[in-house]
Amino acid sequence: MYDYTDFDAAFVRERVAQFSAQVARRIDGSLTEEEFRPLRLMNGLYLQLHAYMLRIAVPYGTLNPRQMRQLAMIAETWDRGYGHFTTRQNIQFNWPKLPDVPKILSALADVGMHSIQTSGNTIRNVTADHFAGAAADEIEDPRPVAELLRQWSTDHPEFQFLPRKFKIAVTGSPNDRAVTRAHDIGLRMIRNDRGEPGFEVIVGGGLGRTPMIGPVIRDFLPKADLLPYCEAIVATYNMLGRRDNKFKARIKITVFENGLDKFRALVEERFQALRPQFGGADQALLAEIERAFAPPDYVQKPLAPYHAALTDPVFRAWADTNLSPHKNPDYAVVSISLKAHGETPGNASAAQMRLMADLAETYGHSELRVSHEQNIILPHVHRADLPALHAALKPAGLATANIGLISDIIACPGMDYCTLATARAIPVAQEIAQRFDALKLEHEIGPMKIKISGCINACGHHHVGHIGILGLDRAGVENYQITLGGDGTEDAVLGDKTGPGFAYDEVTDAVERIVRAYLEMRHDPSETFLATYRRLGPAPFKSALYQEADANAA
Amino acid sequence: MPHDSAPDRSPLDRVLDLPPLAPVARRVASLNARYRHHGATAVMERALHDPEVGRIALVSSFGAESVVLLHMLSVMRPETPVLFLETELLFPETLAYQRDLTERLGLRDVRLIHPDPEALRARDPDNSLHRRDMDACCLLRKAEPLERALSGFDTWITGRKRFQGGTRAALEFFENEAEARIKVNPLARWTKADVQDYIQNNRLPRHPLVARGYPSIGCAPCTSPVAEGEDERAGRWRGTGKKECGIHFVNGRMVRGPVPADAMPAPRPVLVRNDEHAPQEDTADATPAPQPDAPVIVTDQGFAADDWSHPVTPLAEFSGPTGPVTAIEIGPEDDPQLLARHLPEIDMIRVRFPSFSDGRGFTHARQLRLMGFQGRLRAAGPVIADQYAMARRSGFDEVEIPAELARRQPWPQWQRRANWRAHDYQSRLRA
Repeated sequence: MYDYTDFDAAFVRERVAQFSAQVARRIDGSLTEEEFRPLRLMNGLYLQLHAYMLRIAVPYGTLNPRQMRQLAMIAETWDRGYGHFTTRQNIQFNWPKLPDVPKILSALADVGMHSIQTSGNTIRNVTADHFAGAAADEIEDPRPVAELLRQWSTDHPEFQFLPRKFKIAVTGSPNDRAVTRAHDIGLRMIRNDRGEPGFEVIVGGGLGRTPMIGPVIRDFLPKADLLPYCEAIVATYNMLGRRDNKFKARIKITVFENGLDKFRALVEERFQALRPQFGGADQALLAEIERAFAPPDYVQKPLAPYHAALTDPVFRAWADTNLSPHKNPDYAVVSISLKAHGETPGNASAAQMRLMADLAETYGHSELRVSHEQNIILPHVHRADLPALHAALKPAGLATANIGLISDIIACPGMDYCTLATARAIPVAQEIAQRFDALKLEHEIGPMKIKISGCINACGHHHVGHIGILGLDRAGVENYQITLGGDGTEDAVLGDKTGPGFAYDEVTDAVERIVRAYLEMRHDPSETFLATYRRLGPAPFKSALYQEADANAA
Repeated sequence: MPHDSAPDRSPLDRVLDLPPLAPVARRVASLNARYRHHGATAVMERALHDPEVGRIALVSSFGAESVVLLHMLSVMRPETPVLFLETELLFPETLAYQRDLTERLGLRDVRLIHPDPEALRARDPDNSLHRRDMDACCLLRKAEPLERALSGFDTWITGRKRFQGGTRAALEFFENEAEARIKVNPLARWTKADVQDYIQNNRLPRHPLVARGYPSIGCAPCTSPVAEGEDERAGRWRGTGKKECGIHFVNGRMVRGPVPADAMPAPRPVLVRNDEHAPQEDTADATPAPQPDAPVIVTDQGFAADDWSHPVTPLAEFSGPTGPVTAIEIGPEDDPQLLARHLPEIDMIRVRFPSFSDGRGFTHARQLRLMGFQGRLRAAGPVIADQYAMARRSGFDEVEIPAELARRQPWPQWQRRANWRAHDYQSRLRA
């Protein structure tokens, strides 16, 4: 794992000092509220419905146990004893007090963490595949590149006041777990015909109120050209992006309105001017970073305890859903579900954070990850240790066997916390999870991604949910629109709108009707919901959704 | 009451010492031609900075749709004077809304324009004139006070729109007001939906009476709610045939003539300032004391007065060097590429920041340096101390800030960021 260099550490300390001074200057009137706002946002501090919210960066989702324990300490000392892991691999605290924020930032700096550029119209925390460095299907670990981009984008003088926020994601696998096609810049690590490493560069994807699947702007970008090329894209966007309407200000609109060809030509022109500026220091640094991400020292030991445990149905169910193949066949990637039925998706208590830190130390080569699906990953666990790990997770409410299943729901904070939200999201997720748990249908349904957003800004990624749910405000009443067939992987597809929305207390029934229609229509249990939907199209699902609703109404 | 016959000029204007302006008709024609294809924000943006426009104020009723222009102004140049006609018959909601918007938008120079108290005592001692003679009431409480307040300005901005129909259906962006003044209507071509979108998209607070059925809001006695399907302005002077209060022209006929400033009692503007650190005006007898309002130049060495004495040519008007010293101003929409051939002959480039939150100027600076510009590069506008290191790293040599900002953020706050070479990730990566 990457550890802060002296340069990083000094930078973060300096930033804490700057922000502390900014808070004081706001209080003494040197800074107006309007001037202070972007400064607090570029340090991750939001003003939410009830209080401030501090969003802390977990670059490319990677944490060590010491950092996780520090987050637990912060939750207990300055918040309400828990934290919320987000869809962009960050963690949010919902109740900090403004005077405590500089202390929290200092505590983060102590363990090599920060909240820089987790908000505001800047380049945000760079995200990456949460299985990076462990996944069996990986071409290359994307995290060194993500770390390089983190350093390049941090406090970039040109790009702190962009037209709008800017998000970059990197994946090193053909199976895109980082949703690169829904990012402002998506980078897919590939090799060209001569075997040289590089990137397919995607630009102008995004969800939100105008969802777009990002087009490819460069089929193959040599690895050494990454920074000047990204700088050219963001500079072009900074000049061309609209500043008259915040809902038309994202790069997806810039690319769409100007046309990809014109945008590409401007980027290439800028790139030609920038390329000579990079004399190789970035590549030398990248090589150093790559060494820091060397794989752990894998151990060899008998797998007998693992095979023995598979006879236990509870362990078996958990192993079936919560493990993913590791590049070392004796190892597994473990997903710890933060989606216990009826709990708030993505929340973890301080005690749970400490336990996960301890278990990562004991069984997981001291590594943890945050996934954009709001779960915690232990990327390197020897299969022989899985029974003991499972046994330790269970009493803490962390052994829910539902990864990738219907109750593994992504939901934004919704109207319970967010000022933008127009409808509740978390209670909808809780009710759906409890319904299918009670029906005991979850494992029979198989892979199913439900994603819920509490407003049109789509923080819950509903457009790419197999079943997407969008909560809106219709004349003061919450109304939920359902989309079907969305997919956030390398085959990215936006879900189809079904028709009129449903009231708050009708949503769970509506989801159940869709699911029951799928169970009736699938060829056999191996045909997933998404495959069945793609085979049959929306019509039979829509008729199941609405005919029955009409029948009930009649 | 002391009589100050000098025009009431904004601090910025006093410094700029503008050259004499061409006749209004000629300037209106040239401005309309120049901005024919522009949108509202561009017209507003340029109106606030175009030298042909002269000294400018926004006249706002803080009514149903006023928040649009007030918001644009707050983003582009919040120190611009805003004239608010406090007729003393307004809804209490309007007064509360005015205070709230002033605070939220950070408007720095909202002036409450009251009717002249002596005229009020003489002509409407019991506030009943509106029942007897509406036009006389509008004249007393709106037209005359506004005329006095506008006497120091060359141009005023209004929120009138074509869709409001009737007398407003053929509005141009720029109007010639009796050869005396220019009237700017940035929203002339906006539709009702544009107004709604703008308010919604920028999450701006509405006047509380809008939700209660008042789409157009004037004085309380003469404004009533409007039923669905009725014209927006149907609730104004309902049942009288009166359509306009008289501060605007009707059918090209002037219903209010410019009054020589010295024929009227002096205006008594009440300055409402958000900025607690600015010297407070004495509201009883406002004779603004002269202030040191020249812009301040910030460099690594500290604050200094501007030592640049040569003219600065806007990029749009530049075709090649004309004298021994050449300086160019680049606006946020300009393309520095146009200067490519002339860079070695240019001594100074001034990059204008319309607001601190518009980061285009940083990319302009970097582009100019990448193109090989070696001359003096200046960021000009309300750039804040926290952006000083960004400006220097992007290639600027210095920052030119308004005096107000320099007072609020004195040198020590900039000095903290004068170590801009330290903690610089990008220069490390570029080596």
